[in-house]
Amino acid sequence: MIHSIAIRQQFGALLLNVTVKFDNEIIVISGENGAGKTTLLRCMAGLEKVSGIIKINKKIWLNSAAKIIVPTTVRNIAFVWSDAVLLPWLNIEDNIILGGKNDAALLAFICSECGINHLRHRIPSMLSSGEAQRVALARAIYRKPCLLLLDEPFSAQAPSIRCRLRIFLQNIQQQWAIPILIASHDPEDARVLAQQHWDMQEGSIVVVNSSG
Amino acid sequence: MIDALWITLQLALITTVILLFIGAPLAYTLTFKTFFGRTVLEVLVALPLVLPPTVLGYYILLIIQPSAMVGSMWQVMFNQSLAFSFSGMVVASVFYSLPFSVQPMQQAFRAIPVVWLELAKVQGLTFKETCLHIIFPASKSGILVAVALVFAHTMGEFGVVLMVGGSIPGETKVASIALFEFVEMQQGDDAWLLALILLGISFVMLSIVYSINKKPLLTGNMDQ
Repeated sequence: MIHSIAIRQQFGALLLNVTVKFDNEIIVISGENGAGKTTLLRCMAGLEKVSGIIKINKKIWLNSAAKIIVPTTVRNIAFVWSDAVLLPWLNIEDNIILGGKNDAALLAFICSECGINHLRHRIPSMLSSGEAQRVALARAIYRKPCLLLLDEPFSAQAPSIRCRLRIFLQNIQQQWAIPILIASHDPEDARVLAQQHWDMQEGSIVVVNSSG
Repeated sequence: MIDALWITLQLALITTVILLFIGAPLAYTLTFKTFFGRTVLEVLVALPLVLPPTVLGYYILLIIQPSAMVGSMWQVMFNQSLAFSFSGMVVASVFYSLPFSVQPMQQAFRAIPVVWLELAKVQGLTFKETCLHIIFPASKSGILVAVALVFAHTMGEFGVVLMVGGSIPGETKVASIALFEFVEMQQGDDAWLLALILLGISFVMLSIVYSINKKPLLTGNMDQ
């Protein structure tokens, strides 16, 4: 296991208390609303202050006792929010490239896999919520991150498109050998995608199923 | 009259440009940073809104007169007095219009959704890239409002520029002071024309502000 998390932090009424190890694999996190799925992803992204230890690729991202906090900007992660979070003044292509280098071949490949090739020169307000969500997924993958964090990434998609996107994610994970964490309410995501399945309740992981 | 209008226009333009560069970082600091003395800084920025302009002018005059440190340094560097000069009026105008620059920008920065700033972090954007790609485009309307308000406010200054500039014809006599003098000397036609020009400029600038805002100036959200 090359990645590990051991964090404990009170967030309002929720006590997030997670100790877990994982490899470069797809992990699906399920659980009720308010169980702490999104908060866990946000902690790993460095978007929440938390105490404990986070090690990714054997590098320390967080060690609160030693006061080590690697800033989000240099973690080389990608995050997909449950809302698409697109910048309305940029067209779709610029939204996807945001802050990165222009790699036409990679952009074309990802846009085609996400089914948004025809939307590249439109602006976000012209998109449906499903299309916007696929753009956000494309933006995350375009970064070639070392850790991909997805919060309900398929919630606005039709079943047929969900299938296609799951296959795309599996291919990406196999090609790039990166850990992908997906918070999802859809049992199908856990069934099809999960090499590890974490079930969260009240801020803790109560069941870990490994199928890998 | 043309002289006074030309001086006023130059003063307003220079003040607007300077306050764009001072106001933006100040508004950014007051919006996103927490530090000791933040409230004091916020109060100092807002003070010109409530302070009688002559009081502000008096203090600025104390600072820039040749016997004070700032004034004497200026005298040594440029071989001219800062008090009762155009440059002195620029200094005074910058202080006087500071809240009109900072506050609309602060409101605009505050209205930026937190998730957009988180996106900047996740995407690995540097501070410069975050400003360029997210903060400035998201607060474009607030920045434009600040520019229009500072320009219009500087055009209408009276007390501060009178204290600091001293109404020297062709050098520091601005339009509002010229108007006062026209009235004092009973030059009714000149007073009428100058007042109409100033009214027109203020009307146009405020129309710009309201069309950007599309909401009441003091109660609305500057970024909508």
